[in-house]
Amino acid sequence: MTKRIPVEVIFFVGLILMFFLDGSVSLVFSNELYAFPNAMVPYLTVLWLMLSMIFIDRSSLRIGLWAAVIGFIFDMYYTGLLGVFVFIFPLVIYLGRLIFETLPPNFFSSFLVYFIMITLVEGISCLANVVVGLVNISMTDFLVNILAPTLALNLVLFAILYFPIERLYQAFNR
Amino acid sequence: MQKFFSNRKLVIFIICLIISFGLMTVSVAVRNKRSTPPVVQQFGNDIVGFADNVVATPMNGIHHGFVSIKNLLNTYEENQQLKSQVNQLTQTKVKDQILTKENKQLKRQAKVGNTLTSYSKINAAVITRTPSSWNSQIIINKGQAAGIKKNMPVIAGKGLIGTVSEVNKTNSKVVLVSNTSQNSNRFAVQIINGAGKVVNGIITSYDGTNNQITMGNVTSKAKLKKGDKVTTSGLGGVMPKGIYVGTVAKITEDDYGLAKKVYITPAANLNDIEVVSVAVRNSGVN
Repeated sequence: MTKRIPVEVIFFVGLILMFFLDGSVSLVFSNELYAFPNAMVPYLTVLWLMLSMIFIDRSSLRIGLWAAVIGFIFDMYYTGLLGVFVFIFPLVIYLGRLIFETLPPNFFSSFLVYFIMITLVEGISCLANVVVGLVNISMTDFLVNILAPTLALNLVLFAILYFPIERLYQAFNR
Repeated sequence: MQKFFSNRKLVIFIICLIISFGLMTVSVAVRNKRSTPPVVQQFGNDIVGFADNVVATPMNGIHHGFVSIKNLLNTYEENQQLKSQVNQLTQTKVKDQILTKENKQLKRQAKVGNTLTSYSKINAAVITRTPSSWNSQIIINKGQAAGIKKNMPVIAGKGLIGTVSEVNKTNSKVVLVSNTSQNSNRFAVQIINGAGKVVNGIITSYDGTNNQITMGNVTSKAKLKKGDKVTTSGLGGVMPKGIYVGTVAKITEDDYGLAKKVYITPAANLNDIEVVSVAVRNSGVN
């Protein structure tokens, strides 16, 4: 019975759920995540996009396009600054795809690619905010207080969620 | 990587970059100049905000449960401490009541309507928080429909937490005072020192290294000391007077040695916000 649900539906429901969880987790655990002066930002949306890219072996689903759509909603609803994540999300998905053309898609290679993705997402979005004058932060502060904790949090989340999501997609891909 | 720099890809990449910068510039300009975002953006935000309730409501419910249990465990100790403060509070409260009444009578006699201190509150619940390290923003579930306007002050717990930065029909964004952005959170404050002298000033920046907000360009000669209370002054904009902001943490000379720079520790805990109230200044003045 459950096998009837197409994998696209799972992708969309998961995408929307992860998008809202980013904000809710930030609010509920704000005492732990934004404990001064460090900031750990959950990027569950990026995690879901990347794992979907690896596990869904159907080319009809344009994940790059949906990454742009969710990026636009992210800009509009969360930050209010349009034009940042709408381009970053598809960009990292595109780069991830290029890397996976040469690497076998297993846990360790995905782990490394996810490391690069989060660094890019965090770095480029910071750069964009600096350019328009919304952020005023030094390079060392960014590396030590923001990038390092964010990477730590997201890689832990990756390690926890990789196998359940793989199982989920295996069940529905058949 | 060879493929990435092929001709067609490069053109697409540059076009994307230009569009991105265009969008960013436009949205910053809109945020600085207009009181509400474009209708399309408002509409989108309202729909997303509505959908967010499906995830946010259970998450906030669970969080609320945990907080309740934690509070229950601390109750005994807290009760001991609070008992000692209650007696004092009753006295202050009675005095406050009498003074308010007297103030009202005097205002009526002098034919003064509402002054800067009179404001009413709109209560709102926090839906979600921006997952970003520098955009310290929360999203609340009241908007234009409830009478919220841009730049109104938002209070939670002990004092001011931030100002409204973007208003949609049914939800709005609040920028917390811990935001490092250059063009948010510029509001007028005043400090009353021990001798009763008033020092007026403007919040100029947020000091990330110590979690303090700073009030720059203070040229007044009045002596300030650590622990003096800081409140909003109600000068300029839509802010009422007398909202508690925080206490003075330290006073230094500014970079040129001409004026003083006052560091203020915010009173409210910015990382534990469930319910907020937006202060609306009563009309009558301005």
